[in-house]
Amino acid sequence: MRHPFSAILLLLAGLLAGLPAHAGLPAFQLSIENGRFSPEVIEVPARTRFKIVITNKGPGPEEFESRKLRKETVLAPGVSRSVVFAPLKPGSYRFFGEFHPDTAQGRIVAK
Amino acid sequence: MGNIVFIVWRESVEAMLVIGILYAWLSSREQARVGLHFLWGGVVAGLGLAGLLALVMLKVQNELAGEAMEYFQIGMMLLASALITQMVLWMRRHGRTLKRELESGMARAHERANWWGMALLAAIAVGREGAETVIFLYGMGMAEGGGSFYGGAALGFAAALFSFWLLSRGSSFFSWRAFFRFSEVVLLLLASALLVDGVDRMIGMGWLPPLLDPVWDSSALLDDSTRLGGLLAALTGYRAQPALLVLLVYLAYWAAVFFLLRRSSRRPPKSMPVAETG
Repeated sequence: MRHPFSAILLLLAGLLAGLPAHAGLPAFQLSIENGRFSPEVIEVPARTRFKIVITNKGPGPEEFESRKLRKETVLAPGVSRSVVFAPLKPGSYRFFGEFHPDTAQGRIVAK
Repeated sequence: MGNIVFIVWRESVEAMLVIGILYAWLSSREQARVGLHFLWGGVVAGLGLAGLLALVMLKVQNELAGEAMEYFQIGMMLLASALITQMVLWMRRHGRTLKRELESGMARAHERANWWGMALLAAIAVGREGAETVIFLYGMGMAEGGGSFYGGAALGFAAALFSFWLLSRGSSFFSWRAFFRFSEVVLLLLASALLVDGVDRMIGMGWLPPLLDPVWDSSALLDDSTRLGGLLAALTGYRAQPALLVLLVYLAYWAAVFFLLRRSSRRPPKSMPVAETG
């Protein structure tokens, strides 16, 4: 590419075009408050796409992170965001809050 | 407090590494000084990008926004990985000959494209992690607002600046050759880590098949969710439970880098094809 900024423009255009809707996906709620997740264990169907709506009830910021689930998202207090997960094999997948790694621990159990 | 120091340092250190090394390289070359304008221009643009991204993360909360953010972050990771690799190859090629080439005017258009690439890289490096730092500081400020919080944040940033200073002075402490070899390794490891992260995220989105998942599990040895493991993952691409696809991409990346490095140090720079930027 001759002009590198056109790469960014392309990227943005790609973002705006064709964002798939995920309205019909099974949805689960996860909130974080005072450095703890609630619930700490989420049961999801295995081999199915699903989404989790993560809400940070504060008081501080939090970063939902799981290397095993390949997700990482920063949430300011008061923000909620939905994260779509690819189908999982049955098993237990650990996630944690990066800003409170000692207390903010949870698992997603795919059955 | 220690947590805040660490988080702010870690979020800034990647950008500091990239910019510190480029800065050291550019400022040691009389003829490359023009590149400094592009570097600092990129840093300023990156600060703007960080603020903008943070604002988007804060304000836009609907369903599509979460996914759009993911697309954008994956795109930035892959682009940063490609730009860093390209920059290392470019520095290797022009280690000794930049002056002559600039004087001859032969490569001027090419250099220009490369300076823009450098500015873009600086902007992405600062913007990507900077946005998270902004969210973090904003949230912490809302939560605590005490002096210890701001002290911790300032200390973390100072530590990152110190890392930058160490890097930019590195060429005076060590021989230029040793410093440059070290920088190359650091930058290429970082690029490979970004590539692994991008591929991992794409597997997480269900766009790419993991093939075999995981190939091994070294969590007992070094868990990549701990502080040390996480840092290693961010700077080298380490995974405790890698998918086969990630492993293959990692190996292919290093094979390609070794091939390109050998090629660019063997051939005289004038016969090099013009590298694409981005």
